[in-house]
Amino acid sequence: MEIFVLVKQVPDPEATVKIKTDTELEIENKYFTNFFDEIAIEAALRLKEKFGGKVTVLTADPKRVDALRRGISMGADEAIQISDPALEGSDPFAIARVLAAYLKDRSFDLILAGRQAMDDDSGIVGIALAEALNLPHVHSIIGLEVDISRKEAKVIREVENGKEHLTCPLPALFTCQKGLNTPRIPLVMNVMKAMKAQIKKLDLVSLGIEPSKVGSPSIQAKVIRYLSPPKRPPVKMIKEEFPDNVRTLVRLLREDAKVI
Amino acid sequence: MANEIWVLAEHQDGKVKGITFELLSGGVEFSKKTGQKVVALLLGSGLEEATKGLLPFADKIYLLDHPLLSPYTSDAYESALLPLLKEHQPSIFLGGATSIGKDLFPRLAMRLETGYAPDCTELSVDEEGRLTVKRPLFGGKVFAEMVFSEARPQMATVRNHTFLIHENLGKSAEVLSIPIQLDPSSMKKKVIQVEKSSGERVDITEADIVVAAGRGIKGPEHFKIIEELANVLNASVGTTRAVVDEGWRDLKDQIGKSGKNISARLYMAFGISGAIHHVLGIGTCKTIVAVDTDPNALIFNYADYGIVGDLFQIVPALTEELKKVLASEG
Repeated sequence: MEIFVLVKQVPDPEATVKIKTDTELEIENKYFTNFFDEIAIEAALRLKEKFGGKVTVLTADPKRVDALRRGISMGADEAIQISDPALEGSDPFAIARVLAAYLKDRSFDLILAGRQAMDDDSGIVGIALAEALNLPHVHSIIGLEVDISRKEAKVIREVENGKEHLTCPLPALFTCQKGLNTPRIPLVMNVMKAMKAQIKKLDLVSLGIEPSKVGSPSIQAKVIRYLSPPKRPPVKMIKEEFPDNVRTLVRLLREDAKVI
Repeated sequence: MANEIWVLAEHQDGKVKGITFELLSGGVEFSKKTGQKVVALLLGSGLEEATKGLLPFADKIYLLDHPLLSPYTSDAYESALLPLLKEHQPSIFLGGATSIGKDLFPRLAMRLETGYAPDCTELSVDEEGRLTVKRPLFGGKVFAEMVFSEARPQMATVRNHTFLIHENLGKSAEVLSIPIQLDPSSMKKKVIQVEKSSGERVDITEADIVVAAGRGIKGPEHFKIIEELANVLNASVGTTRAVVDEGWRDLKDQIGKSGKNISARLYMAFGISGAIHHVLGIGTCKTIVAVDTDPNALIFNYADYGIVGDLFQIVPALTEELKKVLASEG
């Protein structure tokens, strides 16, 4: 199987994110490979182990390649970075257009991505890429089985109050959710090797993309300012002894918060 | 045209989902400012009951009835909606930040080359119908305020409980059946089975009230007391990553960064210390109650009401007290 995996390096959930100016954030330099992308890499590697073939990790992040190295250290065969100054400020749809330009003339059986990137939490790139390539997609999968002779996948997708079991012909794009697998921890030796692995770099000209199709000019829904989360009022600690504290809580929930 | 506000209706077993009533209520609020019509888009097969449910909530219902539209797949919904969206060019198109909305809207927006903001928690319009939204980034550490280009529709998916449901909107919708043709061969995905979770509780993302326990519950068998509390409050039961990773509860109930974001009216956390992974998932809950034995537990920084105490003592007493109080109300 030929599999592409979309990956991205994102701020660690523990990293502080501060508002620098209305339209600029200051993010602590503490990054990790997007949690859901590692699940996608793992799923790809398991399919390769079963059916043979090749796993390519792909990022459109001009700044960080660590997610690609993570992919290589886990066992991916090739790493590709689409890097161009014009990509700066692109929204997820522009990233999807760029990835589509790279993938449209290639042959593959499957594209895997994380359910969402833990930075803007949009969950757009993978699905929009499937649209651009006219591929079927299944979002947020927690089960995956491939029937190679029928060129078909059986997937399980998480929905409210249950699970959907679907069949989907290949090639297709799936976004991966926690529960699909537990990503392997790469061996130190492989991490070292991955540090030196060659990363193939491509710019927008080589993909035949007009700069106006990416970056801020292409944005249809734009951020006008960043805001701090709404402040919560200070906590009211109920300090009475048990069981009075329970009665007070119930009274406050009814009379003060009016939620029950 | 761009003179309509569209809402993608979601329904299950003939019943329209709460999020849809919320979005229509929000849409009607907007329409008072913009003078636009509010339209519910109802797709599926055998839609009589759902149609009836929607009548008082919209000016118009566009009915797209076709066997291939049930159960939902993005393939079929997209094929049915794209021509309609191109023809009508509504001003605004809202959907729930749900397994349907978040699945479908990126494809539509990509195809229509229009703006889409996912997972919004606050929305407003001006007199010209220009939409402004707020949405959490980095799991809620920061919010982004966003506006849209001239492209229409302005598309957004919206979290549960962002708008209140107004029961008396004074509407009586006109129902318009939209003829649709779907080519079965272009419907690539097929839903072969829908496996419903056991139990009666709604999903934690949809629930008005969520009660949750963390590792302080000490073992899966003790969730019984949380379930009993949930029964009294008609609540859903959530939990933390640590508990899911222990295998004590199902992944579908996990709140937080690698689980689900909830926007409940009331959230009660028992024996949850408040790791960043968890609290990022509860930021948009209206009222938060925390009970933990550790007075320094981080969860108290996010709570409205806190009790330092043992959940094994507090939870059963709380259940009894609520039973008493709620019963006296009849």
